[in-house]
Amino acid sequence: MTQNVLTPITQALNDGVLTRSELKALMQRSDRPAFIHLALWLLLLTGTGTLIWMSMGTFWIWPAMFLHGIVLVHHFSLQHECVHYTVFRTRWLNDVAGNICGFVIMLPHRFFRYEHCDHHTYTQLHGEDPEMIPLPSSLGGYLWYISSIPYWRTKFTELGRHILGRLSADEMRFIPKEEHRTVFLEARIMALGYITILVACIAFNWWAPVWYWWLPVILGEPVMRAIRMTEHVGRPMTRDMKENTRTNLVSWPIRFLCWNMNYHAEHHYASSVPYHALPKLHRILDGYIHVEKRGYLGAHIDILRQLTGRTPRVDQTAGAPQ
Amino acid sequence: MSRERNWQDLIAVSELETGDVTPVRLGTRELAVYDTADGITVSMARCTHGAANLCDGYFDGRHIECPLHQGLFDARTGEALAAPARVKLRMIEARVSGAMVQVLL
Repeated sequence: MTQNVLTPITQALNDGVLTRSELKALMQRSDRPAFIHLALWLLLLTGTGTLIWMSMGTFWIWPAMFLHGIVLVHHFSLQHECVHYTVFRTRWLNDVAGNICGFVIMLPHRFFRYEHCDHHTYTQLHGEDPEMIPLPSSLGGYLWYISSIPYWRTKFTELGRHILGRLSADEMRFIPKEEHRTVFLEARIMALGYITILVACIAFNWWAPVWYWWLPVILGEPVMRAIRMTEHVGRPMTRDMKENTRTNLVSWPIRFLCWNMNYHAEHHYASSVPYHALPKLHRILDGYIHVEKRGYLGAHIDILRQLTGRTPRVDQTAGAPQ
Repeated sequence: MSRERNWQDLIAVSELETGDVTPVRLGTRELAVYDTADGITVSMARCTHGAANLCDGYFDGRHIECPLHQGLFDARTGEALAAPARVKLRMIEARVSGAMVQVLL
């Protein structure tokens, strides 16, 4: 048996920040909000996809693909919620939706589930959190990360490794032996899916996947990289969940796009609370967690101030790993 | 040498969280008491995967979900139903006697 763990939510209950009855009420699941959200989501995708169709053959196809890409890369947010089984009450629907999202953005779902488990266990701990995005060392490093080039390099390497039936030392740590074959199988199925679509494109001279899917995802990914940075980058590298995670207050359309993932500290506190209840949890935990009231922009100002030396870097403060 | 097991009072039925899971401490043991659709069951409270306290997780009347990684267990049998949970929960034999939930320990 592993040593008993004090989860953030147990800590919050012990601190009297919320009551058990409040927590239990917040954890109640429902399929309805997810189906409504998903219907609007598909409508939005249709809308941005139509913009691409209307602008085909003109310069405007590039901003249209960028816009469509921003929506497409937010399938990560939906997949992330599905990893936690907090979208649908019906548990298998989370697996189905999560796998579809993973195919859209090339993030194998089972692999992500295991990686994300360790992210929650070791949030923002250097060398232990497999999803940790380090605070860039310079402005160049910051722009390089946002360009998504290192991200895609990592993702393609990762997929290739799993197709070949290999795991890195870090992956061996968070993927149990019994699941290695599943991870390899899902990578191979995913690759086969992409290759089949590519062959169909060439065989039938049908390039819709390129214009409506792959190019938009590539164009949109820098937006997702910038958003992912706002969650933990620049926050103290400590186990203390009150400090190591940033909640960003953003407008309703952004909350819709990210499935309330902006309430990130609340999510880390109680990852069993469904996405639709996170605003309520935010009202309860406000004052207990770190909230960036200026939203994503404020988070990036904080990050940029640290990497330009205007405020101390969190990785150079006492106790931080060197 | 095997120790003789006895029925011990654990918690009054009236103190249980209705239709939910209630945390109870018995000596040094942390236990989870489930008010399931099929009756009262009791398990060790810690998840067999990451050792989080299951009593703070989501319970739907049959299944208990770990609050840390959302692994799933059958609260009636202890079976691990979904990753990352793989090892069965240790169930404690329980009964309702009068107004008390009792466990055989």
